[in-house]
Parts: sequence; structure tokens; C-alpha cells
Amino acid sequence: MLWLALHLPLLSLEAFCATLSAADRQRPVVLLDGHRVSAVNAAAAQCGIRPGLKRATALALAAELLPGQADAARDAAALQAVAHVALAFTPSVTLHDPQTVLLEVQPSLRYFGGLAALHQRLLDALAPLGHPVPHRVQLSAAPTALAAAWLAHWRPRGRGCLVLGAHATQPAALQRLLGELPVDLLAGAVLAPAQMQTQVRTQALQAMGLHTLADLRRLPRDGLARRFGQSLLDDIDRACGQQADPREWLTLPESFESRLELYARADSSEQVLLGAAVLLARLVAWAQARQARVAAFTLCMQHERSHRPGHEAAALATEPSTEPSTEPRTELRIELAEPALDAAHLQLLLRERLAHCTLAAPTLELRLHCSHLVQAGAPNGELFPTRASESAGLARLLERLRARLGDDHVQRLVAVADHRPERASMTVPAQGGGSRAASVSASVSASASAPASAPASAPASTFSSTALPLHRPAWLLPEPLPLAERGALPWLQGRPLQLVSGPERIEAGWWDGAPTARDYFIAQAEDGSLVWLWRGRLPTLPGGAEWFLQGRFG
Amino acid sequence: MGRTPAVALASGFAELDAQLPGGGWPAGVLTELLLPHAGVGELRLLAPVLAGLQNRQRSLMWFDPPAAPCAWALAALGINVAQLVVVHSRQHVKPAGPQRPKAFLPPPPEGGEHTSGGRAFAREPLPAADILWALEHALKSGHLGAVLAWLPARLPADALRRLQLAAQAHDGPAFLLRGVQARSQPSAAPLRLLLASAGPDALRVAVLKRRGPPLAQPLTLALPPVLSAPARMRALAARVRPLPVSPVPPVPPVPPVWPAPRTATPA
Repeated sequence: MLWLALHLPLLSLEAFCATLSAADRQRPVVLLDGHRVSAVNAAAAQCGIRPGLKRATALALAAELLPGQADAARDAAALQAVAHVALAFTPSVTLHDPQTVLLEVQPSLRYFGGLAALHQRLLDALAPLGHPVPHRVQLSAAPTALAAAWLAHWRPRGRGCLVLGAHATQPAALQRLLGELPVDLLAGAVLAPAQMQTQVRTQALQAMGLHTLADLRRLPRDGLARRFGQSLLDDIDRACGQQADPREWLTLPESFESRLELYARADSSEQVLLGAAVLLARLVAWAQARQARVAAFTLCMQHERSHRPGHEAAALATEPSTEPSTEPRTELRIELAEPALDAAHLQLLLRERLAHCTLAAPTLELRLHCSHLVQAGAPNGELFPTRASESAGLARLLERLRARLGDDHVQRLVAVADHRPERASMTVPAQGGGSRAASVSASVSASASAPASAPASAPASTFSSTALPLHRPAWLLPEPLPLAERGALPWLQGRPLQLVSGPERIEAGWWDGAPTARDYFIAQAEDGSLVWLWRGRLPTLPGGAEWFLQGRFG
Repeated sequence: MGRTPAVALASGFAELDAQLPGGGWPAGVLTELLLPHAGVGELRLLAPVLAGLQNRQRSLMWFDPPAAPCAWALAALGINVAQLVVVHSRQHVKPAGPQRPKAFLPPPPEGGEHTSGGRAFAREPLPAADILWALEHALKSGHLGAVLAWLPARLPADALRRLQLAAQAHDGPAFLLRGVQARSQPSAAPLRLLLASAGPDALRVAVLKRRGPPLAQPLTLALPPVLSAPARMRALAARVRPLPVSPVPPVPPVPPVWPAPRTATPA
């Protein structure tokens, strides 16, 4: 077995900083747990702030300090995302402690081309989550799970990364390396905290003259067990591979749900997008681990409750108990025509949707939900543009247009076999990239719109371009335009129209409740352009218009 | 004839190809077509090149067409509607009822626009930012065979320049169809044509701007006929016979917009 441990010592700080703007990240940032500082960033460390200081002391050291609250749930969500990234490389992933993820990678080595290549790919995959490698992610490899975790916690000076090396494969080399492990690391990370306080334990170990694990292992086992408990011996045995260490593997949830509380109220869509980018990176990691692509997702924005006095008074007067239910929120559902696994593309779609969405109030919290995945192989990359890559690119373009303009503004035409011009063609929302999707949607919508007259209005998707005469105008008015009549001639725009061809009688539709009986003519306008007119077969009421303009020959 | 564009697609009209730089519709640049109103034969003019692109499995995208396109008529012109996407801007109001549909009828005569204040549509709304955005992205994507956009005559000053830049990523022709009012405005499109009807099934094409020397005389193209031969004779006869009302003069021959090439004679 070969275990890879990912230890993120600054996980909680990075999870907090992910929602900050770039300017705020340069400021000294600390996380407060209770009234004590629990994590500091580099700028705060330069000011002299150390973990363990009191809040007031930290504020005195740095006036422009940005204090955040430590949140175990936020850290757990961030670690979950790291574990999801790891699941793309191996199915055997387990959480070790709140900052460490363990992967069993022996079966994946051949597929990914060796440990060095796998290590690099893992680092690349972690980068979008906002955990900058290599300084903030400590990786190590070892034949046992616990040894990998310990080595990841330990960052020996002058040794660099503990992934590659003899210790990863040879037990003897691992024993030698573990022997150098300082005991205070063991005292903090290994021993059960219920038994003894960390500092007390470290002092006890040092008072006994023990500095490394090798010193500890030279002592008699029964005495060690009496002083520090059997669990210490068990842990050392597990790390050295002399005792079994079964783990429970992480399983993926069926649907993705992640929430993110924004540090500052987001007044603009840019700020919302900044937070959404974090959630989208997690979504992509989850979908990748499930080996599927995202087909639709929902972003829910929780807004600040408005505090206008009039609104408050009205709410109190009517029903105070309904107040919590009227929490303003906005939900954006984004459906993709072509399932995608590209965070940048998803973010682009979200940006277009947010651009024409008016938010009721500043946003405090974001939630991202996704349960609609498509299990399919990823499309192949193309070196040169082919028809397939072009249709995929077209589908992305259509998706982007639909995200901004709305589904019913991006359409395809479908020819319907009907003689009435107003029914001969209809529009359906454009879905996919190629003609395949269009013909499918054509048959669906045509059968949906006219079920009663199935033989008459079957979709006509096959054209023989030369056989059809050009006797229909390319531009059709949705509603016929009534024309004035003077001297037995229809007039358009104050000019007479000269009838040059016709009549062509169209009498149809008695079976579906919209019967028409019209005589169609082609007429010539003053400038020589041709228009299409009709006159009702039956005489109209006196005073009503007799001639109607239906279309123009484009 | 100057620097010809790298790629040009045959328009299907030999007389026109002879006058267009490169021998056809240029690819990768804007081509502006100015029409008095929709329905002078512009689709029959463009149908050969559009159908040719679709035969190579390229898709078409139309932006804000002035009226509903008829699928059967397009099929008769050889355009496969399954490979055609029609995009409407959000400001685009669908004409309904007895109101005049936008751009479907010729505009009111010059000056009448402001005198008749009662009509709400007299003041054209600001050009659709949406459609310019969509057009720019469609051109930049490079996945389309040809793009047709019906744009208003009034546009922001830099709109056409932006589109012209975006069109460099597009490897097919990009046609902008606008009203004749746009004729006096500067344009970044390297090819501008003025279209007008020249009788039944005929189209008069004046080249307002092209790379190379200006073209003095407008061309008259015979379009694919809508009318049968007897109907065409009837239509021609009706044009020759004076009508009871004062006929409008035919579209005057268009003077060249570009000045004649200066000869290098010493003063």
C-alpha cells in the first residue's frame, strides 16, 4: 500500500480568505476562536501576532487587523472539497483529522504514470480551490496511513517535500525517517487529548530526555504504556506497519450542497461572483469525483433583511410570526445545454445571468445546489477544429446567449406541413449545437402543438432545395396588416399595389378550429418589390378592410 | 485592385463577383447592406452564399430579423432551417395587431418623423445593446458560417469598429443590414452596398464603398424569379404604364461616395 497524506495547516484561514477581495487579503487577517487568535496570515505574523494571543493584544499590534471568526463547519466544507479533489485520483480517500486527508494511491500509480506525475496532477487539481501550493499544502507519502499523516504534519528543515524518496516504498527507510520525528509533534497530534494536556505531555517527554520517536521506541513498552496509555504504543505500531490500521472510506453524497457565508455584504454582482467561484470550484471537484458532468445547478442568494421602518412596522402590525418566512432570497437556476465540467464556463454563464438580474438587497450568504449530473465520458480534445468541436463550440455560444437573453430569444425555425402561412413555420428554443438537436426538438414540438392533425402537420425536416418553387415570401407578418382599398386596388403607404399574380386559394384548417379561406395574390409595389396579399373568399362586413398584407418577398 | 481580402466566397451572381474585391463576399470582415425596407430581394441575393456555407456544415445565425422568416420560403432558397439560429434582443418587440411592424415598411419620408409627434414609434429607441453584445460574441466564437444582423441605423460610434475587430476571428461573411439612413454615417465595414428594387425579380446594387476604385454605375442583378413568365410580363407592363397617381421617381443612380482618384498632375 502507498498512502499519500495532504495536510493543510492553514485550511481554516484560507477558507475564510476565499471570500475576501484581493485588497482585503493583503491586510493582516486573524481568525479568532473565542477570544484567542487561532490562525494568522503572513501580514499579521509580520506585525508580531502569534496564535494564542488575546484579541485585544492582536488589535493593539495591528490597527488595520481584519478579525474573522473560526468556524468548524466552514473548515469542514473546505476539507470536504479537498477530499473530493482527491477522489478524482483514487476511490480510497479518508479524512484523518480536521486538516488532513489521506489517499491510498497504490492502485492508481500505473494509470497516472508514477508517483511523481500523480503528485503533480494532485497539486494542479488543488490549485483552483484557493489553497496555494506548495507552501500551504504539505504532502507526504508512506507505506502506512499514520506514518504518511505524521510526515505530512512534520515539515523538517532542509528536506523539502516528503513525497518522493526511499521511505515511500521501503519499510527500513521509513523506520529511519520516523525515528527522527520529534516527540512534541507526537504529543500534539497523536496522543489522545483527553489523557493529558499537550504542553504537560511535551514537558513530561522532554524531562525524560526524549526528543525523537527513536528515543521513545528504545524505552520498555510496558512502562511507556503505564505512563502514556496503550494508545501511544498502538499508534507507533500502526505507523511502523506492525499493526493493522483499517480505515473507513469516504463516500460521495448523491447531490451537491454547499453554502458559503460572505464576510462582507455583497452589493455588486462581482462580489457575489467572487464567492460563487469558490462554490463552483467545489462543485466541479465533486462532479469530477463522481465522473460526471454538470447539467444544471442552482445558486441561492440569501439577502439581508430590509430594515426600512415602514416595512418593519407593517410587518409587525400584520403578523409578527410570518417575519422569518419572508427572508428575501434569490434563486438562479442555470441549465446547460451541453453538460460541462469547466468551472470557468460555469462562471461565465453565472455572470451573464447575474448581469441582468436585479437583486433585492445585499447578499449575505450563498448556497449552491446541484443534483443534475450526466454520467458520460468526457468529449475528446481535438488538435484541429473538426465538425464535432465546432458543434460543441456552437452549443457553448448558444448557451451563453440564452443565459443572457433568455431561452425564448434564441430560436430555431421549424417548417410545419400546413398551407396556412401563419402556421407553416414555428419557432422552438435553440438547444444544441448541431442539426441533430434541432431535428429532435422539431419532432417533439410539432407533435406537441398539433396532435389532432398528425398527418397534416408532420414536421418536414427533409428539404429538396431545387424542387420547391419560390412562391412563398421569406418575410411573414405575424398578423396580417389591413390595407386600404381605392379604385378596386389595395393601397400600401399611400401608393397603389399592382396585382401581378394570383389568386391562389388557401382554404384549410376546418379540422382544427381555425379555418381560413383566402385568395392570395402577389402584388408589385411602387418600387418594384413584391408583396403578398390576401382577400377573404367570403365578402367581409361593409366598412371592414378587404385586403390584407401578409408578407414580403425578401 | 488594392489589397484583396484573403478569402472571398462567390456570391452566385457573376456580375456582382466581378465588382467585389476578391471575387465574392469577403470573409472575416463586415459587409454592410443598406436597404430602403425589408423585402427588396436581399435574401435572394444572399441565399447562394448561405446555402453554400450550409452545405459545408456551417451554421447560420440571424440577429433581430425584421419579420418572422418563413421556413418554407427559406427551404425553397436552399437554406436548411435546422442549421439556422434566430436571436432576438430583449428590447425587440414582436409586432402585433394593427401597429406597424418595425423596419418592415419603408420609413416615413424625411422630416415627417418629427412633425408627426403623435406616433410613439417616431423616436427610435436606442440601439439594442443586447444584440451588439450577442453579435460580437457570435463573431468572436468563430463557430459560425455566416452571420446576418439587422441593426438600426443609429448606432454608438464605436459599435461598428468593435464588430469589425470581432469579425477578424470569424471565418465567414458577416452581413449587417441597415436602413438607408445609415448611408451618410461613417462605417468601419470595408464593403458597403446600397440595395434597391429594380422591378420585379431584379435588384439594383450600388457599391458605396469597397477596396479599390469606386464603381460609378449601379449593377442590376436578376434574382431567382418569384413570378412566372406571364406574371413577370404583366408586372413589367404595369411599371411602364403611368399610374393614376404621381409615380415616385425610380431610385436615382447613386453617385460615387468616394472621390475620384486624384491624378498626380503638377499644379
